[in-house]
Amino acid sequence: MYRYDAIDKELLTDRSNEFRHQVARRLAGELSEDQFKPLRLMNGLYLQLHAYMLRVCIPYGTLNVAQVRRLAWIARTYDKDYGHFTTRQNIQFHWIKLRDAPDILDALAEVDLHAIQTSGNCIRNTTSDPRAGATAEEIDDPRVWSEAIRQWSTLHPEFSYLPRKFKIAVTASAKDRTAARVHDIGLALRRGRDGTLGFEVMVGGGMGRTPFIGQTIKEFLPATRLLSYLEAVLRVYNRAGRRDNIYKARIKILVSSLGAEEFGRQVEEEWAQIDGARADLPDTELARIRAAFIQPGLEVLPAVSDSYEAARAANPALARFIRNNVSAHKAPGYAIVDVSLKAHDATPGDANFDQLEAIADLAERFGLGDIRVTHEQNLVLPHVKQSDLPALFEGLAAVGLATPNINLVSDIIACPGLDYCALANARAIPVAQSIAQRFLDADRAELVGELKIKISGCINACGHHHVGHIGILGVDKKGEEYYQLTLGGSGAEDASIGKILGPGINADQVAPAVDRLVEVYLAERQGEERFLDTYRRIGMTPFKEAVYVDAH
Amino acid sequence: MALTANRLSEGDVVFWASGQWVDQFAEAELFTEEATAEAAVALAKAQNRVVVDAYLIDVTRSEQGLAPVSYRERLRALGPTNELGHGKQALGGAAITALQAASGAARSTGRLDLIRRK
Repeated sequence: MYRYDAIDKELLTDRSNEFRHQVARRLAGELSEDQFKPLRLMNGLYLQLHAYMLRVCIPYGTLNVAQVRRLAWIARTYDKDYGHFTTRQNIQFHWIKLRDAPDILDALAEVDLHAIQTSGNCIRNTTSDPRAGATAEEIDDPRVWSEAIRQWSTLHPEFSYLPRKFKIAVTASAKDRTAARVHDIGLALRRGRDGTLGFEVMVGGGMGRTPFIGQTIKEFLPATRLLSYLEAVLRVYNRAGRRDNIYKARIKILVSSLGAEEFGRQVEEEWAQIDGARADLPDTELARIRAAFIQPGLEVLPAVSDSYEAARAANPALARFIRNNVSAHKAPGYAIVDVSLKAHDATPGDANFDQLEAIADLAERFGLGDIRVTHEQNLVLPHVKQSDLPALFEGLAAVGLATPNINLVSDIIACPGLDYCALANARAIPVAQSIAQRFLDADRAELVGELKIKISGCINACGHHHVGHIGILGVDKKGEEYYQLTLGGSGAEDASIGKILGPGINADQVAPAVDRLVEVYLAERQGEERFLDTYRRIGMTPFKEAVYVDAH
Repeated sequence: MALTANRLSEGDVVFWASGQWVDQFAEAELFTEEATAEAAVALAKAQNRVVVDAYLIDVTRSEQGLAPVSYRERLRALGPTNELGHGKQALGGAAITALQAASGAARSTGRLDLIRRK
């Protein structure tokens, strides 16, 4: 993976020292809360319901062993023994004290971690495919380009005070595991007819109270021109994006009001003014970054491991885990392993100290020291020998991390909701747990197959409910928690915004309603259809009738 | 009504009680007069180095005892429902049980005032 150079390290040290000074001035009363708040937010520190929350940036969701161990140490030393992985591939700690925050930033900086770009109206952490560098599906390694964007965007003076936050995702496979189409900018690597590398540039996607699917404004941007083109997009947005109304300040509103064609035209006009020799990444720098992502240590192995096949045949639990959590690696004899943070009684995305330590140990022993975070709040060990899978499975199971449910009904995205978040209207975590509890039968869950349920505790949609096959939005109805269900959303390459099923229901009714939706699907599905496919074929009516049958 | 805030240095939820900040809702001072409550808010706001985001919350008495009217404020007074060992609820006891047993929900009026003021 990429290692920070002297410039990066100096920047983190300076930043940490600066924040220590700012905190001291706040505690001494030299700064008011109004003056201090934007400063702490620039360092990922929010004040939530019960305590401060520190959001730590995980660039494109990639961690090494030392970093995971450091996160575990922070969880134990400064929090309540756990951390919460987010839909932006970051981790956040929910019980932080302001007075400890400078020490935590120092501890993070020692392992090249920080909280920059996790808050504020800047270009946020660039997210990418958690299988980067391991999947044969990818056209190029998206981490190379994500890292280039990181270096370009971090503390970018022109783009540090945008009208609103700005999120970029980079995907490189036909299967989109980054939700690129619901980002401010989604970049999809493409190979041109002449074999050169480029990006499809999608702009103006987003969720929140006004969801949009991103629109393509450039079918093929030569990859070498990426940074100048991003500069042009950001410049048009920075100039024309609304600053008078926080709810209309995202780029999606600008793209929607101008139309994608006109927005694209303005970007082209701006782009033509930019000196590419200044703005674009030099080939030498690109080569330097690329070299950092060449995976060392991959052995030449036979495509099939006999010991692994024998273990799989002998152990049904291992076989189930492999069916659901293990995917093909580009190198023969290796596998990509998804580690679910969605045990039925767990809080989606939470990992405790023992689990983080175990992940670090297992990645060190079996995974070439590489750990990824997914936007679906799970972890990935991208380089595991097939022959090590049985031992890895045992190691994961020992700490409750071998739940075989990736992409299944209980693999639910849920924001922290009203249990923690100052913005939330309703809880999300207990709803996720009630659904997981209802679908405890692993055979039935596998029978149902891919079903993406996503829950947000408010319209800001951190839980991605708009793009859930079944989306669940917590609302406040005269002060009580109610939940609005949507169907037919997708954050993948077939992106779409879900449609509202009907009137809101209370918390106790959500899991039974999901059960009824699943029963309709099972009765109606044809062939290999997923829930989403069946919904798209038969429409809302049968599902609606099943859920609201008692209302008639 | 009661007056609540978060402690600046720790972020903990606190309640006003006769010129001091206390950790438990059960120890909070209750205001029946608007003027007394607003006077306490003014004092709290002057304590810029001690607390942030001070605001008044509505309180109701039921068979179980006193509790904030709004569900959000009961959560603040207790802790998260997914980890019953975390937050103030870990203390246990009759006052916590009363808060947990309280039902009915409403928006946090004080919170809305806070947003409006901002």
